[in-house]
Amino acid sequence: MDLAIETNGLTKKYGSLTAVNKLDLKVQRNTIHGFLGPNGAGKTTTMKILVGLLKPNEGTVKVLGQELHGSKNGGVLKWFYEQADSRLSIGYMPELPKFPKHLKGAELLDIYGQMYGMTQQQRKEQIPKLVELVGLKGRENDLIGKYSKGMQQRIGIAQTLLNNPELVILDEPSLGLDPVGMVEVREVVKEIAKEGRTVLVSSHLLFEVEQICTHVTIINRGTALVSDTLQNVSGLLSGPAMLHVEVAKISNTIVNAVKKLPCVTSVVQTGDTLRIQMETHEDMRAQVSQEITRSGGIIVAMSQKTSNLEDVFIQLVSKDQGGKPQ
Amino acid sequence: MTATRTSTGRPHPSWFTRFWAVVRYEMLWNIRKKKFLGLVIVAFIFATLSWVLPVVLSATTDQAINANPEYAVTFTIPGIGIFLFALITAMNSISSEFESGTIVPLLTKPVSRSMIFLGKLLATFMIILVTYTILFVYVVIGGAVVYGPQNNLHLVPLGLFGNILSTFVWIAIILAAGALSKSTIVSTLVALGVFIGLFLAVPIIAVFAGPSPVLNYLPGSGASGTMMTTQGPITVGAGTDGIGANLINYALYSSANVDFNTTNIELQDGQPLITQALAYSEPISVITSRSVATAVVYTIVFLFIAWIAFKWAQILE
Repeated sequence: MDLAIETNGLTKKYGSLTAVNKLDLKVQRNTIHGFLGPNGAGKTTTMKILVGLLKPNEGTVKVLGQELHGSKNGGVLKWFYEQADSRLSIGYMPELPKFPKHLKGAELLDIYGQMYGMTQQQRKEQIPKLVELVGLKGRENDLIGKYSKGMQQRIGIAQTLLNNPELVILDEPSLGLDPVGMVEVREVVKEIAKEGRTVLVSSHLLFEVEQICTHVTIINRGTALVSDTLQNVSGLLSGPAMLHVEVAKISNTIVNAVKKLPCVTSVVQTGDTLRIQMETHEDMRAQVSQEITRSGGIIVAMSQKTSNLEDVFIQLVSKDQGGKPQ
Repeated sequence: MTATRTSTGRPHPSWFTRFWAVVRYEMLWNIRKKKFLGLVIVAFIFATLSWVLPVVLSATTDQAINANPEYAVTFTIPGIGIFLFALITAMNSISSEFESGTIVPLLTKPVSRSMIFLGKLLATFMIILVTYTILFVYVVIGGAVVYGPQNNLHLVPLGLFGNILSTFVWIAIILAAGALSKSTIVSTLVALGVFIGLFLAVPIIAVFAGPSPVLNYLPGSGASGTMMTTQGPITVGAGTDGIGANLINYALYSSANVDFNTTNIELQDGQPLITQALAYSEPISVITSRSVATAVVYTIVFLFIAWIAFKWAQILE
């Protein structure tokens, strides 16, 4: 498995408080990986360790194949130099990013681009594209001090992409945005991933994560509770899926045909409605609807009840905190 | 020659490119500060008044302005001006990065903390250098217009260098306070406390305890003495704020001595009698070299403290 991020036993303590506790996080390359957890779960601390802002107390961190923090050879100066170099391939947007108010949006990107070692020509080409991507065209020459919170989020996303990073780490990118802004950010994140980048994104908005992420890690009290593909995590705590199908011209032929499907364990008919218990939590609506239609039925409505990410999140976190799963 | 590559396979950007980006970042911050622009305007107003007032007085009293060929070369920024330039340029430099949270995106760029610190320092130096240079050129031109042809103009850069060095003593103290406290208010109060404390304490100590040489090792104006020259007596400040004037004095009167007097206050027939007695004399060469050495030591020590504090500062927010 080709990993963009790999932590083993990562631990960070602030005095007596353990913010990150033996965290094993594995993020595959070319995925959008959601990083979920309640407030104070250790998401931001982990992300800060990944970009070198914080030094862990224990554990190892590998980002894009390069080990951070653990180097004991070469002394303190080498450690700092390596840290700076490792950031060449990483784009990071902190939670509610703050940028110098005295700089204009385009100036900020230009200076940050220069810090990445981009030539003037590269910056001239890249900055207008990014400004357009994040929806700041026409406002790039305003002082950041005059930007709204949403615009600061947008310039924050733009600065993460300056250096065409292989890994983009976004800490709550939708925080403070209006609904339209949230949708736009989701689209931008999808765009980022399309270009073959790995994205690690933390969010409180579980429906947002469901829409954009391919993989999910849920952490609580600094420890990973689950880490897998979104599909597997969403189905983790659910029993088999249940399909509700309303069929016009229902007949025994249709009921028997559905029962014969390999993924179906039972079918209960109530009037024109069939309640179909599935063997799996995977989405089998296409197969079921095909079988009903082939048997002469007309589907009026169909819905599948499965647990979603929110259910899983609440159940896992509640269980971890000693509460009853809801 | 092929460019070196990082461990992730990217071309390794040059150290200088990244460093210069930090310098740009800091310079733009400084020159857009309203308080900095305000201070520059005030400095130029004072410089202008120093030659406009004689012109106005001359016009109103019908007396010709006396030629002063040493006007430009003896120009120096007063201690309060040096302190204010240092305060305004350095007070936000490190502390407000932490206060405003701008340090977080900055530190996630491929620039090390040492690079950021050095970049900020160079930007501050360049801002002070350019501002002082323009001010000194302005004074030279104004002096020539009002007081006639000026002598020893080749020594003006020496005075400029001295003023910059004096300013950097305060800049180093302010940066250290800012890096340790991560608070602009605390660093400003510390700097003001040290400046005002010494500004008030040094003359009082000098009157009651004599012009102790210890005073010359503190940042600020230091003990005050008198140097006799062909142009008449000149007051010499032996502290780090007077380096510019001292360098010029040394260049012009290299063998002169500076007398430091003790002030005695006695009651005679119920009336206070103030007398002065020579406490000690020092050659101007000793005073100048000592003030330069003291300034260099203070600058290095406090910059080192600031660098260490900045390098190890935790980013908690």
